[in-house]
Amino acid sequence: MFNLKKKSLAYFFGVILSLLLICGLIPALRAPLLNISEYPLKFLALIKNELSGIVFYHRNFVQNERMKKEADLLRQKINTLREASLENARLKNILRFKQNSSYKVIAAAVIGRSPDSWSSIIIIDKGSYNGIRPGMAVVTYLGLAGRVIETTESTSKIMLINDPDSGVSAVGQRSRQEGLVSGTLGNHLIMRYLPKDADIKVSDVIITSGLTDKYVKGLLIGRVVEIGDEFSGLSRYCLIKPAVSLSNIEEVLIIIP
Amino acid sequence: MKKWFFLLLILIAVFIEVAFLGSFRIFNAKPNLLLILVVIASLSFELRWAIFFCIIAGALKDIFCADAFCLNALMFALWSFLIAKLSREITIDNYLVSTILVFFVVFFSDIVIRLVFAYSGKYVPLGIFLRIAFLESLYTMLVAPLVFKIVKPEFYSSPFA
Repeated sequence: MFNLKKKSLAYFFGVILSLLLICGLIPALRAPLLNISEYPLKFLALIKNELSGIVFYHRNFVQNERMKKEADLLRQKINTLREASLENARLKNILRFKQNSSYKVIAAAVIGRSPDSWSSIIIIDKGSYNGIRPGMAVVTYLGLAGRVIETTESTSKIMLINDPDSGVSAVGQRSRQEGLVSGTLGNHLIMRYLPKDADIKVSDVIITSGLTDKYVKGLLIGRVVEIGDEFSGLSRYCLIKPAVSLSNIEEVLIIIP
Repeated sequence: MKKWFFLLLILIAVFIEVAFLGSFRIFNAKPNLLLILVVIASLSFELRWAIFFCIIAGALKDIFCADAFCLNALMFALWSFLIAKLSREITIDNYLVSTILVFFVVFFSDIVIRLVFAYSGKYVPLGIFLRIAFLESLYTMLVAPLVFKIVKPEFYSSPFA
């Protein structure tokens, strides 16, 4: 009887000790065991995915086609909304300019560009019927864009200020230094005929001088980015970054004098 | 090739140049579709018809350009005459030679324009001129096979192609 009890106690303590040992070891073993089992589990999951892909091929195919169509539709909607939002922002800016401006202006949309690479001309959807005449200045809400050179009843040709044939009498806003701004077909405009001792600095703001009746005084042209000496050595020039992004104008305002 | 079809092509090319090619400019250079058509006209029609088509193409281009003087109409007619003469001397009736010819025609046209600019007092820095002239010629040359394929598919069946 005692022996049986002793044996039972020994079993009991043995079980308890084993349990304690396992409980003590498990946390230590958990991490390495999980690490070891990672790759077989991944492999099995891959097989499972592949099998379910084969089994549910038709369902997945149909779902994929439907989702592709939905994605295309959503992408198209996003593009339309983005375009509308950009147009809205541009038109708001133009409207603000129109309201704040003391000039009478006509808004017009760009419908075409010069077919050659040697001029910078745009065609707008307003013409003499709307009161536009050759010689009128053309601006955007950012600054001077060009001038009207030709009109028909419903369209007009605008020569942008980066056309090599364009010339704008301009002054530096800070120093009132005068010069002639013309286009180069490049990204910058050139202000020429500056005297050797011209008071002009990089980042000076250049505006129209109002010396000719083509452009009203004070229209923003751009900022000076580089100053150099002319080849003859008699005068200086400066390169101007135009305030208006001339390569992608979509709407313009024509100033009615 | 039918003459009315070629006239239609000229009209389409003008509208593409005015309305769409502005968005495909690379450093202010865009392909000169009309000059490609000038080359095709010079190789496909009798001289008088070729010159007629080239004058039409040049005049249409001049309408949308700023210059009052019809420079393009005159230049296109001259190119047509020269290409027709050249085609009698050497074989250029295959797309590879024609494509190279397009490059030189566009490049020399740009040089003529530069000379006219210099004469009329327009200032374009030499670097910008060379960049635009080279890129425009290259761009037009790359577009030319596509236009040949549409307008003159027989080029591709030529034994020299």
